[in-house]
Amino acid sequence: MSAAAELPPRPEWDRVQRTALVAGVLGLGLCVLGGLVGQALEGASNENFLRSLFGLDQFFRSYLVAYLFVLGIGLGSWVLLMVHHLTGGQWGWALRGVLRAGTHTIPLLVLLFLPLLLGLRDLYPWMRWAQEDIQESQTLQFKTLYLNAPFFLGRAFVYLAAWVGFSVVLLRWSAGLPHSPAEPEPRRLRMLSSPGLLAYGLTITFASIDWVMSIEPLWYSTIYGPLFATGQALSGMAFAIAALVGLAPPVELSAVITRKQLRDLGNLMLAFILLWTYMSFAQFLLIWSANLPEEVIWYKRRLQGGWQFVGVLLILLHFVLPFLLLLSRDVKHNPRTLATVATLILGIHLVDLYWVIVPGFFPFQDFRLHWMDPAAVVGLGGIWLAFFLRELRRQPLLPEPLLTEENHHG
Amino acid sequence: MEDRPQHSDEPSKGDGPAHAESAPVIAPGYTIGSITDQISSIVLTRPTSRGWWIGFGIAFLIVMVLHAAIAYLLVKGVGIWGINVPVAWGFAIVNFVWWIGIGHAGTLISAILLLLHQEWRTSINRFAEAMTLFAVACAGLFPLLHMGRPWFFYWLIPYPNTMGLWPQFRSPLVWDVFAVATYFTVSLLFWYVGLIPDLATLRDRSQSRVGRVIYGILAMGWRGSARHWHRYEVAYLLMAGLATPLVVSVHTVVSFDFAIAIVPGWHSTIFPPYFVAGAIFSGFAMVLTLAIPIRAIYGLEGFITLRHLENMAKILLVTGLCVAYGYLMEAFMAFYSASKYEQFLALNRAFGPYAPFYWALLVCNVLTPQVLWFRRWRQNVGILFIVAIVVNIGMWLERFVIVMSLHRDYMPSAWGMYSPTVWDWATFIGTLGLFVALLFLFIRFLPVISIFEMRTLVPEAQVREEHGATEAGSVTGELRTT
Repeated sequence: MSAAAELPPRPEWDRVQRTALVAGVLGLGLCVLGGLVGQALEGASNENFLRSLFGLDQFFRSYLVAYLFVLGIGLGSWVLLMVHHLTGGQWGWALRGVLRAGTHTIPLLVLLFLPLLLGLRDLYPWMRWAQEDIQESQTLQFKTLYLNAPFFLGRAFVYLAAWVGFSVVLLRWSAGLPHSPAEPEPRRLRMLSSPGLLAYGLTITFASIDWVMSIEPLWYSTIYGPLFATGQALSGMAFAIAALVGLAPPVELSAVITRKQLRDLGNLMLAFILLWTYMSFAQFLLIWSANLPEEVIWYKRRLQGGWQFVGVLLILLHFVLPFLLLLSRDVKHNPRTLATVATLILGIHLVDLYWVIVPGFFPFQDFRLHWMDPAAVVGLGGIWLAFFLRELRRQPLLPEPLLTEENHHG
Repeated sequence: MEDRPQHSDEPSKGDGPAHAESAPVIAPGYTIGSITDQISSIVLTRPTSRGWWIGFGIAFLIVMVLHAAIAYLLVKGVGIWGINVPVAWGFAIVNFVWWIGIGHAGTLISAILLLLHQEWRTSINRFAEAMTLFAVACAGLFPLLHMGRPWFFYWLIPYPNTMGLWPQFRSPLVWDVFAVATYFTVSLLFWYVGLIPDLATLRDRSQSRVGRVIYGILAMGWRGSARHWHRYEVAYLLMAGLATPLVVSVHTVVSFDFAIAIVPGWHSTIFPPYFVAGAIFSGFAMVLTLAIPIRAIYGLEGFITLRHLENMAKILLVTGLCVAYGYLMEAFMAFYSASKYEQFLALNRAFGPYAPFYWALLVCNVLTPQVLWFRRWRQNVGILFIVAIVVNIGMWLERFVIVMSLHRDYMPSAWGMYSPTVWDWATFIGTLGLFVALLFLFIRFLPVISIFEMRTLVPEAQVREEHGATEAGSVTGELRTT
């Protein structure tokens, strides 16, 4: 397409991209090194401090949190893109370029999943259950019908294949189309987006059960999938807003993006915040009030040993503060403040993932933060961001201005 | 099809569907005058048809059945119903949840779609809101009657009294009192405020003195001045903002009625969103069930176009998929949980004594709406009508299946069966009659479609809007005008 030739070179992104890549490789490299050192120390040293500082098991735990964080941004972008293909609306045109670039990272995210396969025994207790224990317990027998390595791998393959398959075809079919509602989009984009959303809904439900919920294999909650998916849509939205404002030159941004669009973006983010809060509260209230031992233990683990303060922080920063801020028109009309709120949301969602995942590894232990946890986020986040920027250069960042009546066939 | 694209020539309001080829929200050729004439004529000038009298007469007779059923209940007590222990909540709660679910579409259409700038809502919101009120009224009867001594209903309300009675605030049944009462009040106000300019139109056009006086009182001195309109629109949008959380909160609380109890099949964390989706699903099914005959009988095809029916069909499809997801999660988690009670419940639902209801509900709510994937069928009014009715039945069956979770819980010695008596049926059918009778009265005495909002959709109004920024069309504008 000729549109590709007109794309600006964006030299101002070079530094960000290079920094992201270097930080990413460094962070991930350090984590891998830490893991390998831990493996080498195994048996060689009995010193607890060293053992706690390094370890392959810790590497996988940190990697999982970081991976699910970036996965949420990638898949969230894809979901929002499909929703926009189906419903239209000005908000989506503003984000089209960013969301497309985010969706382009899904194949990379599939690649980044593969290292986790080496750590299944470290991550999931059901991988370590002894055969005789399973024989004795009817509960474990039932659990292993679903939670067993071959079935787990098969399912993971289906999820990843569905994500890559749907997203790649969607991007190919919409490649080179103008980022503006001037012409109706090809019908087949809508025809692909509905089954795509359906596939996402089902795969993310079972992926969240497999990859996160089964860290505590005896616990269950039927709202888990929707809650996890809402978090992903929220991450996708928050990242897209922050990236749009952070990467577009302010002059271009204010020339193209209207106040109404910014307001719609803020309102959508608010809607996702409310949805996340609604589901989180529903899950908490129902489990707290029923007080059944097999259910309430999940909250018990997360409301002791310092973890309860993280929980309070989530209420304040994952709900109260963004809720109040996003009610204000002034916040939404100013791209800078909107992007700041979006960044805050992205950050607190990482905390949410940490709070949901990590206490499962260390039942009833105090709050902990390993040096590999931030390092893995920097590592995976950096690599992902560099790849994202590479993809973003290949499409228009901003939509075409609404007021011009030019012919887009050019 | 494309001669009057109401949306696409206004880029700043581009929240409509992305596809420009869809049908217009109002048929071409209408003017402000002809809209007013056609809608108000149903109330003012057209003679009351024989069909109306027959329909209302039948509905009225059924209301008499309801009266008889309630009178007998008050004399004899709830023993005349089929309820027992373990199934202490029989038809009463099934019907309560079913009716209150139906009552969700009205406020969703009027408040949420208004805030989302969905202009197509304009011609269906009025009777959807009326439907909401009547459905909530029917719903409210059941818990009252189920109390056994309904005249003591006020004991549910926290008020200082000499007996030292205080409601149990941990019980979602008490939350229900607040949720439903608030919902009914706000829906009623929203509906009435939306009616005021149209009541003034009826007052001005009415030929009879009685009509002028009654509509005049109801119109509260509306003169249509610029200041009136300005305040009106601010108030209406604020009420829309207030009503929006209620759409979610009422059915969330209803779902807590079940989920707070630790009965297998009831205590499930997905219940709140799944119930809300189910409520919207059944509400839109009922709107379609009513809209299709009303537009045919009163010749309103120009106002309630295929576009409206198709959009509602899409909402039906989406919410139907959400409900199907709920069924899937319930069944999957029953097995994943490895809890023998949950597993037994899932098997008992599918193969136990009430299994036919379960399978019928899956056919009605999961299988049937799938035809709506295809545009050709979404635009076929006959098929839509059938799907809507099937979904209504399916949602009733869903509540029946959920309530029947009670019949076999933890202890086999406490198991039992439930079957409705003739009085259960009489009460249920009686409320159907009440609902239909109220609708007949509504159609006869009030404008079924919002006249003044329809006027904003005609091309004349659109032109004006381009000059004066927030004049005619700004009902669909901003939440806060500050």
